[in-house]
Amino acid sequence: MSESRGRSRRIGRLAPYLLGLPAIVWLAVFFLVPLGMMLVKALQECNPATGSCVMTWHWSSLSDAWSNSSTIIIRSLTYALAATVIDLVLSFPIAYWIAFYAGRRRNFFLIMLLVPFFVSFVIRTVIWKFLLSSDGLVVHTLQALHLVSSDYQILGTTGAVIAGLAYNFLPFTALPLYVSLERLSPALLEASHDLYAGRITTFRKVVLPLCVPGIFAAFLLTFIPAFGDYVNQQVLGGFSNTMVGTVIQNYFLVYNDFSTGSALSVIVMGISLVGILVYGRLLGSKSIGDFV
Amino acid sequence: MSQFPEHLDPAILRGLLSPRVSRRQALQAGAVAGAASLLLPGVADAAVGDASWWANKSKTGNLNFANWPYYIDTYDGKHPTLDYLKTSNGITTTYSEVIEDNPTFYQQIRPSLQAGDPTGYDIIVMTDNAVGLRYLLNGNYLVPLDDTALTNFKKNASAAAKAVYANSGKRLIPWQSGMTSLAYNSSKVTTNTKSLKMAFDTSSSNVAKLRHRVGMLSDPIELGNIALLAIGKNPATSTPSDWQLAATKLRQQRDSGLVKAYYGNDIINELKQGNLWVGQVYSGDVFQARIGGNKNLKLMNPTEGALLWTDNMCIPKGAEHPRDAMIAMDFFYDPAVAAVLAYYVNYITPVPTAKAKLSSPAAGWQATTMTNLKKDIGVAASVITSAPEVFPTSAYKLKAYYAFKTQGEIDTWNEKFAGIPTGS
Repeated sequence: MSESRGRSRRIGRLAPYLLGLPAIVWLAVFFLVPLGMMLVKALQECNPATGSCVMTWHWSSLSDAWSNSSTIIIRSLTYALAATVIDLVLSFPIAYWIAFYAGRRRNFFLIMLLVPFFVSFVIRTVIWKFLLSSDGLVVHTLQALHLVSSDYQILGTTGAVIAGLAYNFLPFTALPLYVSLERLSPALLEASHDLYAGRITTFRKVVLPLCVPGIFAAFLLTFIPAFGDYVNQQVLGGFSNTMVGTVIQNYFLVYNDFSTGSALSVIVMGISLVGILVYGRLLGSKSIGDFV
Repeated sequence: MSQFPEHLDPAILRGLLSPRVSRRQALQAGAVAGAASLLLPGVADAAVGDASWWANKSKTGNLNFANWPYYIDTYDGKHPTLDYLKTSNGITTTYSEVIEDNPTFYQQIRPSLQAGDPTGYDIIVMTDNAVGLRYLLNGNYLVPLDDTALTNFKKNASAAAKAVYANSGKRLIPWQSGMTSLAYNSSKVTTNTKSLKMAFDTSSSNVAKLRHRVGMLSDPIELGNIALLAIGKNPATSTPSDWQLAATKLRQQRDSGLVKAYYGNDIINELKQGNLWVGQVYSGDVFQARIGGNKNLKLMNPTEGALLWTDNMCIPKGAEHPRDAMIAMDFFYDPAVAAVLAYYVNYITPVPTAKAKLSSPAAGWQATTMTNLKKDIGVAASVITSAPEVFPTSAYKLKAYYAFKTQGEIDTWNEKFAGIPTGS
C-alpha cells in the first residue's frame, strides 16, 4: 500500500511537468534553440559573399552592438511602453463595457473590435500613411479648420510612430483584458456595493486587482511585439525615430552583416526576457485566492 | 545622336565590373591581399559556359525569368513581349517578379548556388552598383554566355552594353539602365534647379524653404554616391577620405532639418503625395509619375552629374533551361522588342535603335502591341522618345558609381553611410 502511495505521489509530482512537456519542447525547439543559434552567430565573423562563418568568440560584438545602438534600443523601449500604456487606457473601458454592458451583443461588439485587424498589418499601416500624409484627410482637415499651419506634417514624427504602434497592437491588449473582465463575477461587484464601496473604490479594490492577470498578459502581448516592430517606424516615421527592429532588419537584409544583426537581436531578446521575468515577479499571475 | 550611352563618363565604359582577370592574376592578387580580395571578378571554370558545354544545350521551350516588379510591358494581365517570345521562338516563360532588392535576392539564391543546385531561375536581373552582383561574379556563380547566340546583341547593343558584356567575362548583358538623381516639385521649389545643392545646401535660407521636405534613398550605396557628387568628387575615383567627407555632408544635411526621412523604392509616392518636395529618385519612376498626372515633378539634370546604373541579365549556374535563356536574352535586343519595353518601362534601353522603332513601329506585332499599350500608358511614343529620363541627351553628365574592390571597402563604406538613415 505504502509503495503504491509513494508511486502515486511521485507521479503526482511529475504530472505538472508531464502535462507541460509539449509546451516545454515547443519553447525549447522554437525559442531556446534559435536564441542559442543567434548567440552563436553573434560570436562569429561571417563572410556575406559566401555566408560562411568562423567562430571568433568576440564577446565584444555584444557590447559594440549595445554601444552603437543603445540610444535606439532605449527609444524603442520608450515607444513600446508609450504604445502599451495608450492601449491599456483605451482598451480597458472598451473591454469593460463589452464585458458588463453589451449583454447578448457581446460577440457582435467583439467582432467589430477585431474586424479592422482582419486586414494585413502592413496594409493597415500604409493606409494610415495615406490618411496622415500632407495631402491626406487628417492634415487637410486640420489645416481647413486653421488648427495647424500650412506646412504642418504628421508623418515622420514620433507621435505618428507611437500612434501606429498603439493602433496596430490594440487587439493584443483588448482581448486579454476582456477575457479577465468577462470572468469577473458580477456578485463580487454587488458584494462590494453592499459593503458601501463606491464605484471608484470598487474599481480600485475589486476590479483592478482581479484583472491583474489580464493586464499582465495584455502588457506582454503588446509591449514585446511593439518593442521589436519595424513596420510602423518605416512607414510612418523618419530617421529621428528609428526603432531597433529597423536596424536589425538593415543589418540582415541590406548590409548582410549577420554577426552584428544577431548581436543586436540577442540584446533585444535578452532585454525582453529580463523584463518579462522582473515584470512577472512583480505582478505574476494572481487568482481570487490571493485576495481572500 | 542623343541616345544613351554614347556620351559617358569613361568609368562607365570601362565598366563597373573590372576586366576579367586570369586565374594566375587572381592567385597573385590573393597572395597579396589575402582574404580581403573578395571582389575581383571570379574566373569562370573551364567547363560550364564554354563552347562544348553550350553545344550540348538545346532548347526546351521553357524559361524561368526572375525580374524586379513593374519592369516589363504588361497589358490585360499578360506580358506582350513574353507572348511574342513564345510565338516567335516557341519559348513559354514563367515570369516572376521576385527581386525586391539585390542583397536579399542574392542571399535567397546563394545556398542553392553554393550547393550546386538550380536556383529555379534561368535568367536573373541584378544591378551593377550592388555588391550582390559582384558576389555572383566573384563566386563564379554565373554561366558565361554563348557568344555565338548573341546575334541581335552584337548588331544592336550600345557601346556601353557591349562593354558590360566584355568586362564581365561575357556573363552579363544589360536589361535596362537608369539614372539616380534628384526630382523636385517645380510648383514648390524654384531655386538651385540645376544643382544637387537643392538638397544639400544647409544655409538657413534653404533650410527654411525646404524644412523636412527632402527625402533621400536609404540604400547606403545610393546615399554615399550622390553625396560624393554633391561635394564635387567623382564617385568612381573616390577614396575613403572622400567617403568621410561625403558622410559628414550627409549628416549635416540630415541634422539641419532638411531631410524628412530615408526611403526605399516608395520615395516616388512621397513626392507624388506632396509629402516631399525634393527627393533622390530613379529616373524612370519620375517619368512614369509625370505622365501619370504629376506634371510638376521634374527630374534634375545636376551640374555635378547624375549616377548611371545598369540592371543586367545573367544566367545563374544550375539553370535548367540555359539555351532558352540565351535565346530570350538575345530576343530582347531585337529593336522592336526593345522599343516596346522602353515604351512601357521608361528606363534607358541598351538598344539605341529602339528610338527609331518607337517613332516608326514595325508593322505587325510591335505596332499592335504599342497600340494596345497606349491605352494603358496614355501617351504617344513621341513623348517617350523626347523624354530625357528615357533617352538622356548629351547634356546629362552621367557618372559611374564607386566599384568596390574588396570586402574591406564595402565594410568601410557601410561604416560611413549605413548609420545615416537610422539617425546614428
